Amino acid sequence: MTVAGRRTTELGLLVLGTMFVVGAYALASVPEDSDIPATVGPFLALAIGLPLVAHVAVRRLAPQADGMLLPLASLLNGLGYVFIVRLDEARTRPQGLAGLQSLWMVVGVGAFVATLLFLRDIRTLERYRYTAGFVGLVLLLLPLLPVIGQTINGSRIWVSLGPVNFQPGEFAKLALAIFFAGYLVEKRELLAINRGLGPFSLPDPKHLGPILVAWGVALVVMIAEKDLGSSLLFFTLFLVLIWVATERASYLVVGITLFLGGGYLAFSSFNHVQERFDGWLNPWESDKGGQVIQAAFAFADGGIFGTGLNLGMPVGRIPVVESDMIFAAIGEELGLVGATAVLIAFLLMIGAGLRIAQQTSNGFERLFATGLTTLLGFQAFIIMAGVVRLLPLTGVTLPFISYGGSSLLANWVLLALLLRVSNDASERDAERAAAGQLTEVG
Amino acid sequence: MSKQIRNLGVFLALCYAALFLQVNRLTVFEAQALQDKPENTRQITRDFSGPRGDIVSADGVVLAESVPTDDQYLLQRRYPTGDLFGHVTGYFAFQLGTTGVERSYNGYLNGEDIGFSLDRLGDLFVDRDVVGDVILSLREDVQQAAREQLGDQEGSVVAIDPRNGEVLALWSFPSYDPNLLATHDFAAAEAESTRLSDPAIGQPILARSYRDNFFPGSTFKVVTSTAGIQIGGVTADEPVYPSVTEYDPPSGSPIPNFGGSSCGGNLFQILQRSCNSSFAEMGVEDVGGEGLVETAEGFGFNRDIPFDLPRSAQSTIPTEVDGTPLSQNPGVVGQMSIGQNDVRATPLQMALVAAAVANEGNIVGPHVMREVRDDQGNVVEEYDPEVIARPMSASTAGTLREAMMSVVADGSATRLDDGLDGFDVGGKTGTAQLGTDPPKSHAWIIGFAGPPGEVPHVAVAVIVEGQNGASEQTGGQVAAPIAAAVMQRALAPPDRAEQDGDSGAGG
Repeated sequence: MTVAGRRTTELGLLVLGTMFVVGAYALASVPEDSDIPATVGPFLALAIGLPLVAHVAVRRLAPQADGMLLPLASLLNGLGYVFIVRLDEARTRPQGLAGLQSLWMVVGVGAFVATLLFLRDIRTLERYRYTAGFVGLVLLLLPLLPVIGQTINGSRIWVSLGPVNFQPGEFAKLALAIFFAGYLVEKRELLAINRGLGPFSLPDPKHLGPILVAWGVALVVMIAEKDLGSSLLFFTLFLVLIWVATERASYLVVGITLFLGGGYLAFSSFNHVQERFDGWLNPWESDKGGQVIQAAFAFADGGIFGTGLNLGMPVGRIPVVESDMIFAAIGEELGLVGATAVLIAFLLMIGAGLRIAQQTSNGFERLFATGLTTLLGFQAFIIMAGVVRLLPLTGVTLPFISYGGSSLLANWVLLALLLRVSNDASERDAERAAAGQLTEVG
Repeated sequence: MSKQIRNLGVFLALCYAALFLQVNRLTVFEAQALQDKPENTRQITRDFSGPRGDIVSADGVVLAESVPTDDQYLLQRRYPTGDLFGHVTGYFAFQLGTTGVERSYNGYLNGEDIGFSLDRLGDLFVDRDVVGDVILSLREDVQQAAREQLGDQEGSVVAIDPRNGEVLALWSFPSYDPNLLATHDFAAAEAESTRLSDPAIGQPILARSYRDNFFPGSTFKVVTSTAGIQIGGVTADEPVYPSVTEYDPPSGSPIPNFGGSSCGGNLFQILQRSCNSSFAEMGVEDVGGEGLVETAEGFGFNRDIPFDLPRSAQSTIPTEVDGTPLSQNPGVVGQMSIGQNDVRATPLQMALVAAAVANEGNIVGPHVMREVRDDQGNVVEEYDPEVIARPMSASTAGTLREAMMSVVADGSATRLDDGLDGFDVGGKTGTAQLGTDPPKSHAWIIGFAGPPGEVPHVAVAVIVEGQNGASEQTGGQVAAPIAAAVMQRALAPPDRAEQDGDSGAGG
């Protein structure tokens, strides 16, 4: 498609997605006597207004960016919202999660627009890579502080400042992605030098130093905070970026070995790690197996087409169903079909993100886009795999869908960053094509 | 970097493919196994929380309904009439299961058995509760009359319409309040369930009207008479049984009349006087043990009578004595002929005996359900009555009908037509001795009533258990007034507006 066509495609897809979301909302919340609820006005404003604002922002600020990402994100966000409405209001004591989520959606889109507005060139970020790294680590450490740090559900990943609770870890991911990408791009030549030892050649360790330190601290912090899912995510981010940057498969091998070793160590030393594995491999007997068992029952009830919105019974059975386990509710009510649609949506986003990474010629942008895509794609995979028992269950959110302000905010910013890279890369391509040159950096 | 980025993409695609396969596993391949797991309470909750239709009496009284609650089960099953219909509706409880109509018609009440009608294609898009309301044939006013009349005496009242088998009242005391079992306070429900099974308080949970059997006593003489006419050549005029104080069978103990009185005569006379000696003689000499059993089985003894409430009890009559045939045990046959020895009948069975006489020899299968309606009032199912037994010919029935009417006119059941002026009323009393010391007996009566010249509209059986004494008058004095009042109510039109459809007895 032509670059000009992208925005049109984007608009078209957004409209389709919005129609779907509005329809789903109607099914989920219009009661049998078909009175139109009072909330329909604000909802429509949200469901139509937000994608519209985002689209206009992209038209103005990043007109040549990829046209698939925003509609997919908007669709997932809307679907998640519909589910949160349906789930929270089915509770005997609703917690107003839908209202809160809609607030965060507005803030999220606001941050999206702000990011596009204030960040005109991704390479600015590259300059601040060390700052970003530092900020990232600080954000990670925040929940460990007394007074403002909070332990919720066994993990210490929350910070409360007055009335607001947020998870700095979500933003730390973005900051550390900037740092990893920036550092690796700078040092990749050095890191790619072989130092004997045949196929398992290793680089000069001193160049790896800062990055290993950063990664090590991040991991230790996460184990201390008992946030195993984020641990895994960070490790994956690090491994993927170093592999892509250096083009050396040896890093993969070493990394995976380290991972298995570290994992085994963690397993034998930490109770909560053992419990997670127990709950994964043997949920029927384990104390911690409850969540995945309920999720499995939910999927079983859903079958191929699902029980239908509002006709399942996820509430009261599936724990944390509005956040981590929301995929189980989707599986129950929308069935295999609905769950697969979500899988495909994430896969398409991954595809778009990686395409953006391939498209740009700038090293930092490549790595950064890859890192962002990795964060999005793997986080979604980790939690969905946990819910269906492909992996042990961890406490990460499903991007765009789960209830959670910090996660939503961070993901909208992530989206904006990807679109910025996409736009800049496309603009450069257009200029070069106009100037008759088109090179690719491998 | 390109190669790596591409490989990353492939790897992620593989990861998601694995996810897809796993979701397939859960939703398709292992779905049934997961749903069958005992830990999976979803199906039970689904049944329990799903919408459920009402159970309604023939005269429009709601006997069971589901009301919304605030707890996780969403709906509470409620029984507005409490213990009045406890034995009929049964209960619908999470951990105690279901009984009664709640169980028999579960598929209609929760909508599973209600066909999907395509003329309402709009249903595909509207979230309608397709559940059925079960309309019973029982009338609340007749049931109420039964309860009031029986009072707090242990016993049962069964009233049916002989023409179509519809049950009009099914009451036994003590009864129980199903609300206490359907409560969401499961501990309390368990405790109540245990309490209700206690024989010391009369085991209220047991619906003795159709789930327990008793010596029928002299009411069984109607069966013996049937055998006499059909097999033994007995007619209204002949034979004339000798007037004696007891009957002495070829072997076994003599069968005395009550209080040593003497009686005899033709069929009508011995039925009126409820003469033990005559019926014993009829049973032993004119009918024989095998014939008596055969006739009784024609009425439903020793067989499962199709009935739309679960777990009804069989009525029994012995077919042999300790391995020896009945023909070698005339003493036992003599006792069986008067409804003693090991003859046991449920009140429902005895009501059917009266119904057979009333309905020209045909027993129409008894049922409590009349029809099922959907939430818009359309009838989706109607009970199709059918004749399940033909224990006697129409002419035999005619003779017995006359005989039973004479029992009311001139015999031991004169109180049976209290308040029933202008109706044809027939009956037979019974006093079933329990052989205890001090003597106790069950007071019985069976009967029928209806407009002259028609098949009677109501047949009843009443048993009042464990009465002091063993006088032959007991049935006529204790049970007859109850039956009369119940029949009177049944023959009168209902007070309330009925559901659209045929009226019950009378009217």
